Amino acid sequence: MRPVSPRSTGVVLLWLLLGGFLLLGALPNESASIRLGGLSVLWWYGGVLAPVLGALVAIRWLSDPLPAPPRDE
Amino acid sequence: MTSVSRILAVWLTPVALLAVPAALCARAGDGLWLGLTLTLVPLIVLGLPARRAPGGAGRAERAALFPVVTLLLTVGVLLWANIALAGDVAVWLGAPRWQGIVLTAAAGWMLTAWRPLRRTAPLLLSIALVAAAAPLLQVGWAVGLGPIAAWDRVATQTAFRFPPASPWVTTGRSLGTVHGRAPLVFDEVHRLTAPAGGVLRARTLDGNRLAEIEWSLAPGQSVTLRAGDELVPGAPVRLRFEADKRVPGAPASGMAWAEDPPRRWLDRLGLLVTLLVGAAALLRSGLTIRLSRDGAGFVAGGLLLVFVWAQAWAVYAMLQSPDLFLGGVTLERLLELPGAALFAEPWRRALQAFLLVAGLAAFLASSVALRERLGALDPTGGGEIGSDPGLWAGLFGGAALASLWPVDPWVLTLLALGGAGCALGPATLYPPSPGRAGLATTAGLVGLLVFATFAAAQLRGAGGAPLGPAVGYPALVGVPAGALVLWLGRGRAG
Repeated sequence: MRPVSPRSTGVVLLWLLLGGFLLLGALPNESASIRLGGLSVLWWYGGVLAPVLGALVAIRWLSDPLPAPPRDE
Repeated sequence: MTSVSRILAVWLTPVALLAVPAALCARAGDGLWLGLTLTLVPLIVLGLPARRAPGGAGRAERAALFPVVTLLLTVGVLLWANIALAGDVAVWLGAPRWQGIVLTAAAGWMLTAWRPLRRTAPLLLSIALVAAAAPLLQVGWAVGLGPIAAWDRVATQTAFRFPPASPWVTTGRSLGTVHGRAPLVFDEVHRLTAPAGGVLRARTLDGNRLAEIEWSLAPGQSVTLRAGDELVPGAPVRLRFEADKRVPGAPASGMAWAEDPPRRWLDRLGLLVTLLVGAAALLRSGLTIRLSRDGAGFVAGGLLLVFVWAQAWAVYAMLQSPDLFLGGVTLERLLELPGAALFAEPWRRALQAFLLVAGLAAFLASSVALRERLGALDPTGGGEIGSDPGLWAGLFGGAALASLWPVDPWVLTLLALGGAGCALGPATLYPPSPGRAGLATTAGLVGLLVFATFAAAQLRGAGGAPLGPAVGYPALVGVPAGALVLWLGRGRAG
């Protein structure tokens, strides 16, 4: 079994963030249109939460590991 | 192409940048989805593990020609879309179409041809960012509302009405500049005045009978349309609308704009697939990208900033200039400073210039980055394609000539991304074994053929209910076709 790399974790999390928007839009009774603090729930998620989390995920998981420092003999 | 600024510049062409606020204005939910996918999809593609590209043995060089030709055509269409947008902006701001086209095409070609200017993408992106942020901050300050309060104000409006200071009300504008897709249907009685006269056509409802009427108006003469009447767009007649009347083509109310209609699953999937494979082709095909933590942060931060700008700009534009809905929101209208009464001259002209500088800088950054992107794929390894002035003169010249005829720049961009994605995306995301370079080409050709068939149906305006999403987003069928060929080929090899 292939080990799960940090990049794979990041990619899965980004997919989940995208999927969350579709899920929110599919909620019954137009629940995503409920207003909270001036914005609709859909806008809070799609315009604020998901993009900010996406950026954090990219910084935390998508970068390549730094090259290992040379070992002292 | 390892520089992160070039990744941003390749992805965020001016058309893509303006498509988000335009979509947000047209329908909030669809615009959010477009913005979110444009922000996250490049990160997903950049985060996919690097795999060895197919190559090796004698056929590698021939196989490498396919991605080069595909990307060359893609870059050509992307340039076409952006230069056409420059033409639209020129017309919207009252200049001849050719002036916007020649200015952008010539500047783009000079930048790609003149060697010392080729590493200017980071500088140009920074200029675009500052020049786009300044008018936004000024508009926010002048309106006196933060973006969230402005959103709330827009979403609670009972109707979108012409402001008294709108150019459509004060001096009038040519109906020929309206080329959105929304019908110009009136919701209430509306008196239209032609300050310079001209011929006006409308479809009117007479009982249950639809009749097309043509008026030849003398200068200053008016005509009154009733609720349900529809103005035929495209006539080069300057018209003045009445202040405080509903804008034809606008959503019924702020609430109607803000709600997310259910039933758009397949369209959203189509957009996602198109952008995903398009990003794979543009950002990853034939390249190995390694991002440092700073680099990942820079790309993610840049994408986030652009999305935030797009949201705020769309909300302020709707609040201050609801007339942008007239006949449907088009990209060039978002490069006009909203709120005709918000700033006095010469301050208004200066902020408008900032916006135009931002658009031009973003276009030039994209041109430079697209040239480097193509050069990096050169099979000879020397980057000759990226530095051939004749080739680039031909690309810019062809794109400029094609731009003389108005097209929808966003549709062109989606076709370019979808076509490149169907040809190169499956093999980039799911590469065949190193000895089977020909399989990637075969899969790409099959994907491209299927894509082209459905794209042709889209351009002809065909597409019934069952095939609607596939015609609207041909990558929905082109990508599985290419992936199937890859899968079958890999199975046979195994």
